[in-house]
Amino acid sequence: MSTNPHAPATTMPLLSAHRLSKTYRMGRVDVPVLRDASIEVQQGEWVSVVGLSGSGKSTLLHLLGGLDRPDRPQKGDRDAGTVHFEGRLITTLGAHGLNQYRNRAVGFVFQFYHLLPELTVLENAMLPAMKGRSPLAWFAATPMRQRAAELLERFGLAHRLTHRPNELSGGERQRVAIARALMNEPKVLLADEPTGNLDANTGGEILTEISNLHRNGLTVVMVTHDPAIAALADRTVRLLDGRVVSSGS
Amino acid sequence: MYQSLLVLRFLTSRIMPFIAVLAVALCVTLVIVVVSVMSGFLDMLKDSGRTLVGDVVLSKEVTGIPYYRELIEEIEKLPEAEAASPVIETFGLLQMPYGPDSDRNVKSIEMVQVWGIEPATLSRVIDFQKTVYWKTPDQQTAETLAKDDPRLDPSYNRLQEAMAMRGTGAPALPGIMLGIEMSLFNERQRDGSYRTSRFGSGTQERAYWMPLQNVSLTVVPVSESGDIDFQQKRAFSIVNEFQTGVYQIDANRVLIGLDTAQDMLRLSESVLLDTTNLDENEMPRRIGVSPARATTILVKAKPEYSPIELRNAIEGLYERFAMEKSTEEGAVEMPYPVSVRTWEQRLKDLIGPVEKERALMRVLFSLVYVVCAGLVLAIFWSIVHEKTRDIGILRSVGAGRTGILTIFLAYGLTIGVVGSAAGLGLAWLVVDNINEIHTAMGEPAPRWAWMVAAAFAAASATGALVAGMRGSVLHTLLWSIIGLVIAGIAALLYYHVGVTIWDPSVYYFSTIPNKIDMTNAYQTMAFATIFSVFGAAIPAAKAADTDPVRSLRYE
Repeated sequence: MSTNPHAPATTMPLLSAHRLSKTYRMGRVDVPVLRDASIEVQQGEWVSVVGLSGSGKSTLLHLLGGLDRPDRPQKGDRDAGTVHFEGRLITTLGAHGLNQYRNRAVGFVFQFYHLLPELTVLENAMLPAMKGRSPLAWFAATPMRQRAAELLERFGLAHRLTHRPNELSGGERQRVAIARALMNEPKVLLADEPTGNLDANTGGEILTEISNLHRNGLTVVMVTHDPAIAALADRTVRLLDGRVVSSGS
Repeated sequence: MYQSLLVLRFLTSRIMPFIAVLAVALCVTLVIVVVSVMSGFLDMLKDSGRTLVGDVVLSKEVTGIPYYRELIEEIEKLPEAEAASPVIETFGLLQMPYGPDSDRNVKSIEMVQVWGIEPATLSRVIDFQKTVYWKTPDQQTAETLAKDDPRLDPSYNRLQEAMAMRGTGAPALPGIMLGIEMSLFNERQRDGSYRTSRFGSGTQERAYWMPLQNVSLTVVPVSESGDIDFQQKRAFSIVNEFQTGVYQIDANRVLIGLDTAQDMLRLSESVLLDTTNLDENEMPRRIGVSPARATTILVKAKPEYSPIELRNAIEGLYERFAMEKSTEEGAVEMPYPVSVRTWEQRLKDLIGPVEKERALMRVLFSLVYVVCAGLVLAIFWSIVHEKTRDIGILRSVGAGRTGILTIFLAYGLTIGVVGSAAGLGLAWLVVDNINEIHTAMGEPAPRWAWMVAAAFAAASATGALVAGMRGSVLHTLLWSIIGLVIAGIAALLYYHVGVTIWDPSVYYFSTIPNKIDMTNAYQTMAFATIFSVFGAAIPAAKAADTDPVRSLRYE
C-alpha cells in the first residue's frame, strides 16, 4: 500500500518516540520490555509494529498513547525516554495533560474490543465525548449523539445503536471500538492487534475499514504479529527483545 | 457525564448493587423502627407524666406551704401561668376491702402514696376528668358490659362523685379514688381496658367492683420539728378509680379530698396558743392563727411559655411573696427553701431510665452503620475487582483517576441514598402498621396462609427435582434452599398460635407507638449514606490507583 497522498511533506513527525525503555517488575525480578526503542510516525502514515510475543509491541503502543510512562532516563541523558506529539513533549505532561492527550489526540483500538458491557453501542461510541461534560449535558447532547450515530452508521451499525455489546458479533464489536476511537476526531489511531480475535473474513473487513480511514488522512500505528497484515502499512517497524531492529517499507 | 451514566447503569444492570441497596435498606429500617418505637414510648410516657403534674411543681414536703391560696392567686396573675391547684402529698397505709380472711377483718394492707386534691382546680391544671376511669360508658362500650355492671345504671354518675370526692352513703363517707392497678380484681385486657373479676356462678355471679367498696386509710402527721403525732385512720368510700397510664402511679397512688388530707395531717388552719402564758381561766393564751397548708402547688403554663420560663417566674414570685409575708404582722414565716421544678425535673426518676434505654439502643444500633459500611465495602471490593478491565478502558479514552474515584464514590452514595430512602419507606410501612402486625401475630395464622406456603414449598421441591434431573447443581441447590425456607415458614404458620410481644400490663400502654421519629429517621438515613460512602471509599481508591495497562491486560 502506498503512502497517503494527502499526507503533507513535512520533516517534523506527527508522533515520535526517542529511546524509550520500560521495565516491569514481576515479583522480585525486573523484566525489561523495551530497550531504547525509537520510532517516528509522519502525519498520514500507516506504521505497523511487528515482532514476536513479548517483544514490547503493545508496550510501545501504550507509551505512544500516553497510557503508560517510560522509565526515567539516567541523569544527563535528556534525549532519552521522550515521546513527542506534534513537536510537543508529552512524557512530562501531568496526569490531566495525559488524560487530555488520550482523550483528544489519540484513539485506541484493542484486540479484545474492550467495550463497556453496561452501555449500549451508541453510548460506548460516545464515551470519549462524555468526558468533561456535566450530567445535565446528556439532555442536550444532540451533536454528540449525531456524531456517534453517523460513525456507527458509516460502519454499518445503524440498526445496532441500542444493543448491548454482548448482542453483537466480534466484527461488529470491533467496529464499535473503532467508532469510539474516532469519536473525538483524533490525529492518530493506535490499534493493538485489531484483527487478532477475529476470523479471516471479519478481520479483512476491519482492515478495510482501517485502510479507508488511513486513505482519508488518519495516521495509524498498528501492532500485529501477522506479516501479511503488516504488509498493508506504509512502513513496518520490527521489534526484537524490546529493541527496534529494523524500520522500513 | 460518563460517571453519572455508568453509576446509573452499574446500579440497574447488576444484582450486586441491589444486594447492597437491600442491605442498607434493612439496616436503616431496623434502626428507624426500633428507635421510633422507643421514642414513641418515651413520648407517651412524657405525655402521661405531664398530665399528672402540670408544667411546674412548687413543693415543700411534710410541713407544707402556708398562705397557699394567696400564693396561688399571685401565681395565676403571672403572665406565664394559666392555672394552679394545691395538693397535699404524703404516704399512708390503705386497708383494702379484701384480704386473706375478710370475714375476720384480716384484710390486705398496701403502702400508698396519698394525694389530697381539689378536683375542680386540679381540672384546670391537668386533664383530671380524663384520668377518672369509671364513667358513664358510651353506647359501644355499654354493649360489651355485663348486665349487672353498675355503669349501666343511667342515674349512677361516678364522675360527679369523683369530682365531689364524697361517697353517696348515709352518712356519706369522704371519697377516695384508687389507681386502677391497685385492686387485685381489675384485670387488664389485651386492648388495654380493664374488666373486674367475676365470682360465683349462675344468678350468684357478680363482679368485684371497687367503687362499691369502702377502705380505711392511715396517715401519720409530722410536725415542723419532725416529731410524729398520733396516726390518723379514717374510713373512705371508693368513689372511683383513675388511670394515668403510668404503671407506678396507677399501682401506688390514692386520691382523697384536699380538706380531708389537711385535716388528717394537721395542716388545716389552727389557732396558735402559748402554753407558757396562761389567761385568767388558766388556759394558754391565743397568740395567732396558723394558716392551712398545702405541700405542693401544681401550675400549668400558658401555651406560649415554656415550663422553664414559668419555673423561673415562680421562683422570683415566691421570694417576693416570702419577703412580703415576713414583714406582715402576725404572719407565720414562709418556708425556705422550697422546691420549684418543671414536670420533667420532677419526673426524672420515671423518664430518665427510659431515656437512657433509648440512648443505649441508639448506641448499640449505631453498630448497624458499621455493618452497612462493611457490606458496601465487601460488595464494592468485588465490583471493583470485576470492573478492573473497564477501568482500563475508561482510562484509555481519557478518564483520569479522579473520574474513576468519582464513579465509585457516587455509586456508593447512590446506594446509600436509595437504600436509605427504601429503608425509610419500609420502616414507615412497618411502624404505621405495627399494631395491625402485632395483632396478626397475636392470633393463629389463617389456614389458607400455611396451605399457600406449603404449596409453594412443594413447587420449589419439584423445581429442585427437575433441576437435579437436568444436572444443574446450582439450580438444584437454589430451589432446595428456597423450598426449605418456605417449608419452614409453612410449619411456623401451622404451629403458630399467637404471640403477644407488647403486653399492655408490662408496657403501661395499650398500643405500640406508631409514629416515625422523623428526626431520628433523617439522622439514620444520613449516617447510613455516609457510611455507605465510607465503605465505597477504599474500593474506589483502589480503582483509581489501578494501572490502566495492567487493567487492560486483566483477564
